[in-house]
Amino acid sequence: MTTATQFEKQATEKIADRPAKSGSQLLLESLVEQGVETIFGYPGGAIMPVYDVLPTIPQLRHILCRHEQGCGMAAIGYARATGRTGTAFATSGPGATNLITAIADAYLDSVPVVFVTGQVPSNLMGTDAFQEVDIFGMTLPVVKHSYIVRDPADIPGMVAEAYFIAAEGRPGPVLIDLPKDVANAMTTERHKWRPYPKVKPEMGQSDYISKAEALIREAQKPLFYIGGGIAQGDGVKELRDLVERTDIPVVSTLKGLGAMPSDHPQFLGMLGMHGLKAANYAVQECDLLIVAGARFDDRATGKLDTFAPHAKVIHMDIDIAEINKLRKVDVYLDGSLKKNLEALNPGRSECDDWRELCYSRRAMHEWDYEGAQAKASPGVYAPKLLHDLSRRADDSAIITCDVGQHQMWVAQHCYFDEPKDHITSGGLGTMGFGLPAGLGAKLGAPERTVITVSGDGSIMMNIQELATLFRYDIPLKIVLLDNSALGMVRQWQEVFFDKNYSETNMDDNPDFALVAKAFQIDAFTVTTADEVDVGIDRLLETDGPILMHVKIDPNENVWPLVPPGRSNADMMER
Amino acid sequence: MTQLQRDKTFEPSGVQGKLKIVLHDVSGTLIRALGTIERRGYDYRDVHCTQRVDGDFDLLVHIEDTGGPSNLDTLCKQLERLYNVVSAEKVGRRRHAERA
Repeated sequence: MTTATQFEKQATEKIADRPAKSGSQLLLESLVEQGVETIFGYPGGAIMPVYDVLPTIPQLRHILCRHEQGCGMAAIGYARATGRTGTAFATSGPGATNLITAIADAYLDSVPVVFVTGQVPSNLMGTDAFQEVDIFGMTLPVVKHSYIVRDPADIPGMVAEAYFIAAEGRPGPVLIDLPKDVANAMTTERHKWRPYPKVKPEMGQSDYISKAEALIREAQKPLFYIGGGIAQGDGVKELRDLVERTDIPVVSTLKGLGAMPSDHPQFLGMLGMHGLKAANYAVQECDLLIVAGARFDDRATGKLDTFAPHAKVIHMDIDIAEINKLRKVDVYLDGSLKKNLEALNPGRSECDDWRELCYSRRAMHEWDYEGAQAKASPGVYAPKLLHDLSRRADDSAIITCDVGQHQMWVAQHCYFDEPKDHITSGGLGTMGFGLPAGLGAKLGAPERTVITVSGDGSIMMNIQELATLFRYDIPLKIVLLDNSALGMVRQWQEVFFDKNYSETNMDDNPDFALVAKAFQIDAFTVTTADEVDVGIDRLLETDGPILMHVKIDPNENVWPLVPPGRSNADMMER
Repeated sequence: MTQLQRDKTFEPSGVQGKLKIVLHDVSGTLIRALGTIERRGYDYRDVHCTQRVDGDFDLLVHIEDTGGPSNLDTLCKQLERLYNVVSAEKVGRRRHAERA
């Protein structure tokens, strides 16, 4: 196959007196045209021509992270905090492969990021040259789209299309692989690219909307099940309006948190493996599930054929490929979630008994923070710390987190008023995500307080990014919950593997406060409950980057827990 | 004999089918489409690709599921989600034979 279609190269524009530009210049100028302001990157051999031009483009701020994975995850944090497309650079070979985890993370969480990798010169591609890998081939399963640049004249159109594709419809990562000779090549030509021809429906068919409204009116036990698509589809206001007009209870996935305020009277909490009891019971008993921007992920559904067994399903999603993928639906509404939510107007649901049941269960299963803290004393009860931190931080604070027990505690115990308040690696579950995502979020939203909650296992996976915090004086606030173990794996070993604690003990961790200080980051350690309040004050009041290292009980677990492969009704408890 | 502990929900159902996929002539599109089919839980029984007079490619595949939530309609939508895949549709045996 050829490298570009006849549609794409409809015409070649040649202007004799236009100065020749290199592929690198065209790339960077095209980024400026797309509104890019911040690039997270790391230079290396094959991408040196781009870095050679970079200082001449003052509109572009380059953030040098200390590992390409950090660059990729910072770009994701930036994109999720701003709602704009993120950008990350890396060189060929190991630079490119180090990006792959971030690319997969962006793919599974539908985050718009354009990744640019340097590549060996075209004549060496396929020869196993130094620092050559087929990054285009390696990333095929985890990109929304990708390109190898063969001609510098393609770059302006290609970059414009890459940013369009990353953000349109269901967002996702796009890769541009740029061989060194193409980056160096000079051209006066520009190939014109046609606008991408695929047209997606704006909203669901009108008769389907009527059918959905009829199902909602008929239901005795209706329930909203919302996901990350609400925020990505800019449908938060429309969702809240519909929820309040219909007066139907709501449960959320991990990535849907914040689409409804955590303390909204109709919000029952997160569903799924570590979901709240009231939420999981509501799903199991409902007779109508109104799914908006969620995809029946296995962490949310548990054993699929026992999920919401009595429910009819209305599914709204911009990605038609999600409809009927895992659960047969009764009515679907594709196209814009925002428009579909706005169009639905079934009136107030007559389900008073159901509402009362849901809300009474929520009250019955409310957390007893004081009681749990009293049992844990003099040690620190992490859920209470997170609960208190979340309420004492200002309303616009963003919390990014890593993966493991602390991630679930954040989801269960922190308050979120908007979806952008909560940045977590939901689909891929990437340890090492929290710190770089936090610095990316802070650079994207400097006016907001940004807190990274991490664990002792996770932070070690990208701890080098403390150097990035210092280099740019990024005032990120880090709470490190240290249980000297891979806590979530240890919990599963305790519960499902007969307490065979294999390779999860980390009581040889370094002194994290000392490590942070070595990076010239302010840091302190909290070991007892009575130090927590003062610690939170110091964390929130410090102007620069700071790390609060908190020692917690290694035996503390996350509850409830639905065993893998079981129904969400089978929740285990302490 | 190896015994795999598999979720019975996703046992191979023996679903077989033939798809006709139209692709733009753009680098990477063929491998993107074939990879998607395999990753979504299908084995190939036959693959046939020819270029049309308009420059696009007709890709005809005969596939069988390997276990998973097999649904050829969903697979077609997942293929159509790919850029430079023009269309993907199930074809019946007779229709496939006529076109091949």
